[in-house]
Order: sequence, then C-alpha cells, then structure tokens
Amino acid sequence: MSVTALSSTPKSLAPRLSGRTRAIGIIMVIIGLFTVTVFALGSLATAKSSVTFNPVNLTVSAPWRVGTLTLPTRWTNLILGAAMIGLGVEVLLRRPRRAVMVRFGAVAVMFLFALLFWAARTTGPSQVNFINLTSVLIGSSALAMVLIYGSLSGVMCERAGVVNIAIEGQFIGGAFIGTMVASTSHSFFLAAFAGAFMGGLLGLILAFLALRYLSDQIIVGVVLVTMLGSLSSYLNLQVFTPFPQYNTGGLAPNLAIPLLSKIPLIGPVFFNQTGFFYLMLALVAIVSFGLFKTRWGLRVRAVGEHPKAAASVGINVVRVRYTNVILGGAIAGTGGVAFMASQGQFQPGYTSGLGYIALAALIFGRWRPSGAVVASVLFGLSVYLADNLQTYQIPVSTEILGMFPYIITIAVVSGLIGRVRPPAADGLPYQRD
Amino acid sequence: MTDHAVSSTDRSSPWARFTSQRPTVITMFALLLGLLVGALIIVTTTPAILIAWRDVFHSWTAPFTALKVTFDNVGAAYRTMFVGSVVNPADFWHAVTTGQHWNTALTPISETLTYATPLVIASIGVGIAFQTGIFNIGANGQAILGGIAGATVGSMIHLPTIVHVPLTLAAGIAGGMVAGSIPGLLKAYTGAHEVIVTLMLNYVVALFLIFTLLSTALQLPGQQNDISRTINPTAQLAPLFGASSGLRVNWGLFIAVGVVVFAWWFLDHSSLGFEFRVTGANPHAARASGINSRAVIILVFLISGGLAGLAGIVQAASTTHFIDGGFLIGNAGIGFTAITVALLGRNRPMGTVWASLLFAALGVGGRAMQASTGIPLDLATVIQSSVVLFVATPVLVKEIFRLKGGQSQGVQLATKGWSS
Repeated sequence: MSVTALSSTPKSLAPRLSGRTRAIGIIMVIIGLFTVTVFALGSLATAKSSVTFNPVNLTVSAPWRVGTLTLPTRWTNLILGAAMIGLGVEVLLRRPRRAVMVRFGAVAVMFLFALLFWAARTTGPSQVNFINLTSVLIGSSALAMVLIYGSLSGVMCERAGVVNIAIEGQFIGGAFIGTMVASTSHSFFLAAFAGAFMGGLLGLILAFLALRYLSDQIIVGVVLVTMLGSLSSYLNLQVFTPFPQYNTGGLAPNLAIPLLSKIPLIGPVFFNQTGFFYLMLALVAIVSFGLFKTRWGLRVRAVGEHPKAAASVGINVVRVRYTNVILGGAIAGTGGVAFMASQGQFQPGYTSGLGYIALAALIFGRWRPSGAVVASVLFGLSVYLADNLQTYQIPVSTEILGMFPYIITIAVVSGLIGRVRPPAADGLPYQRD
Repeated sequence: MTDHAVSSTDRSSPWARFTSQRPTVITMFALLLGLLVGALIIVTTTPAILIAWRDVFHSWTAPFTALKVTFDNVGAAYRTMFVGSVVNPADFWHAVTTGQHWNTALTPISETLTYATPLVIASIGVGIAFQTGIFNIGANGQAILGGIAGATVGSMIHLPTIVHVPLTLAAGIAGGMVAGSIPGLLKAYTGAHEVIVTLMLNYVVALFLIFTLLSTALQLPGQQNDISRTINPTAQLAPLFGASSGLRVNWGLFIAVGVVVFAWWFLDHSSLGFEFRVTGANPHAARASGINSRAVIILVFLISGGLAGLAGIVQAASTTHFIDGGFLIGNAGIGFTAITVALLGRNRPMGTVWASLLFAALGVGGRAMQASTGIPLDLATVIQSSVVLFVATPVLVKEIFRLKGGQSQGVQLATKGWSS
C-alpha cells in the first residue's frame, strides 16, 4: 500500500526557494513601510511614548527602580521602520539561505513594539499613557511558557515520527487533574506530577492506537482533543460545580532568585517566576542537549527520519516511539498544570486552542527546541497583546490582531518564510517486516 | 484479501458469519463500546451510585442494592436519551389512541431530524474530501464563514422568498468556498499541509466572526453584544408543518436529501468523482494516468468547503435565524462533529446519513438527559468521540469481541504525516 498521500506536490511544481525568499523580503519591506507611514508619520511630531520598567505589584523581591524612558514616538518608530525595511532589503538583495525566519521574527517583534509605542503615545486617544514593559513581558512570558511546554512535547513526539496533535487535549487533562491535586494537597509539586502522569497516559493512548493498531495519528489526535474537551466539561459540571473546593488550585507562588531578581526588566521576567517557568527552562536545555548531543537523541532522530534503517542497526523503533510519545505527553500535561497555575483554577474550554498554537510554534521553529522557543515567545507576545491592547483604545480590532499567530503559521507551512522540513517519517505508520 | 477472508470463514454458525465480515458489524460493536464507556463514566461520577457502592459491605443485601442503583441510574440516563431523541412510547400511544397531541409525540424525532440536517450536509463534504485523500478539518470554519455570508444576504436584503432563499443559500455556499479555497490553493501550489492550514483557519474565521458581529453592519442595530441582525422571514427555511405545529423540522431536510443524492451521483457516476476517488486511493497512479492533481485538490476543497458553508447557513436559517458569538463554537461546532460522522459513515453518502442520524440523536438525547437526570450533555460528545476512536481502530474492536477473519480496512486513511 502506498503511504505517500497527497501531502506534497511534486518537486517540479514547487516554486523555487529563492522566489519564496524574495516574497518574504517584500513582505518585510511592506511591514516596514506600513510602520513608517502609520505608526511614525501617523503620530504627531510632538507625541511622546513613555516606557516604565517598575512592576505593578512591588513585592519584597521587586527590582531596583528605574526611571521612565520617554521616547519621541515619531522618531522611534521611524528608526524601527527603517530597521525593518533594512532587514527586508537585505533579504531581497542577499537572498540568505539560512536564518530568514529569524530575521522575519525580529521584524515581527519590532512591529509589535512599534504598535505599542504608537498605541500609548501621550497626545493620543489612549487613556493609559505609558507602557509598562515589565508587565507586558511578564504577561507574555506566562503564555510563552505554556506554548513552550506544548511545542517541546511536539518536538519529543514528532522527532520520533509520531504526530502529536493532541497537545491541546493533554493541556486540558493536565489542567483538570492539576487543579484537583493542587486544591486537595496544596502542593504544586504533586500537581505537576499528576499532570505529567495524566499527559503521559494520554500519550500512551495515542501511542497504543497509533503504533499497535496503526491508526491514523492525526485522526486519533483530533478525536482525543474532542474527547478531553467534552469529558472535562462533563466532569466540571459533575464534580466541580457541586464540590467547588476541588477547583481551587490557586496561583503558583513566585520563587525569586536572590540578587538576580533585582535586575530591572530581566529580573522580574526571568528570575522572579514560578517553579513551572524554571522547570520549562530546564526542559528546554535537557531536550535540546538530549536530542542533538546524546546517543539517545541520535536514535530518536534516526527513528523519526528513517525507521527501517534504524531498525536494521538494532534500534527498537516501536519502543523508542512509545517512550517519546509518553514523555512528550507528560511534558504537555505539565504544561497544562502550568497554565492552570497561572489562571488559578480550571474552566472548560479556557485553553482556547493554545495547544494548536504550540503545534504551530513547533512548525515555525522547524521541529527544533530552540526554534520552538523563539516561535513560542513571538506567539506568546502577540496573543498577550491581542488580549490586552484594548486598554490602549487602538483603532485596530483586537480580533484582527488575534489572527496574527495563525496567519503567520499558515505563511510558514506554505513555505513563504523559508523552507520547513519535518522529520521524514513523521506521521507514517511503522510496521515490522 | 476480502475474498480470501470470506472463503476461509467458518460458515457453520450464523454468528460466525455475522461477525466475520462487514464494516457495519464493527461499527455496531464500536457503538456498543462507546455506550459502555459512557456508562462507565456515569457510574464513576454519579454520587448516588458511588455512595451505594461505598456501603457495599454494610449488609447482605447491599451489593444487590448497589447493582440496582447502578442499573437504575445508567438506565435512566440512556432511557431519557432515547425518549428525548426518538420517541416517547407513552406520548406516542396517547397520540395513536386519542388522535390528539401528535405534536408532542413527534417532537423528539423532529428535533433529531432538525439537528441532523446541517450535519448530513457538512459530513458529506468532509467525506468527499476524505475519499480524495484530504483531511478537511476546517469544515467548522467554512461553515462559520458560510453562516456569516448567508446571514448577511439573508438579513440585509429584501426580496421575495422564491429568490431570497436560493440567494441566501448560494451566499452560504460561496462563503464556505472562499474559506475552502485558501487551503486548497495553498496545498496545490505550495504543498502546505491542509491539516495545519485548516486548523489555523478555524481560529482565524472564529475571530473574524466576532469581528463582523462587533464592528460591521451585520451587528444587530442598537446592540453592544456580538449578535447579528435577524434573517428576514423571506430567507428563512420554514418549518415543514408550519410554525404553529411547534415542530422545528424544516425544508432544509430536502436540501440535505438533495446533497446526499448529489454525492451518490458524484462519487459513483461522474467522471470527476471517479478522478477524486482514484486520487484518494493512489495519488501516484492518478498522476501517472494524467489526472490533474492540482485541479483535483482545488476542486475538492471548493466542493467540501461549499457544502460546509451550506451546512452553516442551513443551521442559521432554519433554527436560530441569527448568528452570535457562540455560532458553531467549540464542541457544538457541526464542522467538528462532521469529521467524526464522516469517519463513522465511512465517507459513503448513505453511511453518512445513518451516522448523522445517530449522532444527532445522541446530541438531542443528551440535552433531554441533562434536563431530566442532570447528567451533563457533554456525555453525548464523549460517547461520540469514543465510538469514532473504536471505529478508527477496527482491529482493537475485533480483538475485544474475538471477531474472526475479515479484512475490514477501517477508515480509509487520509493523512499520513505532514509532508511525506
């Protein structure tokens, strides 16, 4: 039976790589021109944007105070726009073969900041006439953290050749069990374990159906998400409504690292976070190191790229896949607990597609942990801004801004922004001969 | 393979013959397993049952009491589900003997048909895509865009019914086609995987829905909330037995029947449908035999998206007559149910009809169950998704029930990885 579905057009049909690079260069220039005309020239020459750095809630571990940075809106955005155009022109002229996505990510982040500066200009429509950069970064880091958990889970599964589209379901399962355990035991440590167990269990179901019965991994994943969504909503009504004391997981406490957390801007974002954040940083390091520097990682990648060859040198393909899908599920389950711990409790449907955005970040990051982190940060920032920009009363509808991560992902899989190549055996069933 | 399995089957016992073949059998066992999963969930989450089992060692009769409580609760749940979605025997007998209150007796089946109508249309669309080897997971987004387009034409234009209804439906189809053409074109020209593109488009369209309902002329005048204008009576799909009957089953039913006939003709009796199926069965052979794979991809997305859009506007024009921010959102989205229905119906028109009726009955019955026993309606979705999980893994069902032989290939797999 042929397993090559219609998933790709023949090579001759695909446009040449350099054409795509040119397209992305043009898009970058257009974004830059838009920034210059709307965000820079669209504000008064006298308008100022203020950036503050002191966190809103000043606790014991608050960083050293820093004054307000006041920038002339027009000139700042002119410079940002010029930098974007410069990057775009560089891509157009030099047609670099690598790191086009990094340049595009930089342009996207600059665009978001130009938008922020413009939205918060003082002689403007906004009631809030300053940007608290620390709050913006803390808020986006909470979302980026969940996305990184999800995309790391995807890296684990897909590098071994199993498509884990059920990340959303593992988030839901982890968040649900996490709030129950946290509210009964008052321990986020135990909650994280329970979430990891739950996610691992879901990974086991996916692996069992996909590896033993060779079911379609995407269909199983999608159905698992539907099932978890409705099951959690069912249990929410059956268990949490009559017994609300089981759904009081609460917010995870911040663990400030002495001295380092005092650094302005960097301190609150990186060194005054919850345990889940530090765990995420550790996982990123472990997964990147493990995948690319150890024997285990080499085996995993071999199984994901060419399972038959891997089997011929004595690697147990099925076992490697089982292990990785279960571990990946456990990571996503922990991510669900982390999300719960940043919201305080469980609500049905409140993950609202974060699992799918994590999947998108994985693809944007080209199936590499480092790339997934960069993509998650970008997506986390844009999701956060979409949710919070209405305070600045900008004329851009927040819904349109919210489409940003999804549209970027579509552009990425269409090959607009460089070429993405998944692991060769990703999603293919493997049968021992 | 199949012939071999038939000949090697033990023909002596009717049971063996019954269980040895036919995907229908697998489907029925999968349904049974799904209902068992549902029962298990009811048992483990209903306080009355748990209390009865906790006291099981208190007396000699306690185990029997516990069993009785269990069966009573599970039985009540499934009984109300049946009564609420098919027929209530007492009401029906009353109507037959007295000749009155037929409306009450027919309400459950009318509700099921009303719910099934858009579901059939959307599922046929998803099924055609599956048969072509394409997983259109974006049916929900296409249905939403169809609903937006149809509601715009239906509410903002004034025309006589004879023109207005077709125009509204055409707008729905066009909306779905627009949403469907994006993944189609991208897949055909850049090789972008349709699962990712349609998944992302679902969110884009859901956001676009809120945007149109809050910031455009479609919003109900004088409203701050995300709710649309009402679709004009001239563009609504009227109830079959008149508004006074209280039965919501409507003219959309005939549209669904038409779509089923179209799909049957298209897949089995048109040359384009043949090309679609060949492409789904073996894309290499299709290309080698001169089928334009790029055109097939674009066309299948246009048809699939158009049908999803039609389903969206049929849903809006027949039941609510407006759309709001919750239109087809989340698990209620017919586009998501349509995927499971198409899988259950094995992508065939008639199979899809039965599967739609079954899932519609589960959904409608779930609501009745929630109203009378307090068990949340989401149980119906859990049952639906477990049925599909079992249908997607026929070997597992066979192992559980020790079915012999038969090469039921299960669901025709549509997607094999991101980019193979």
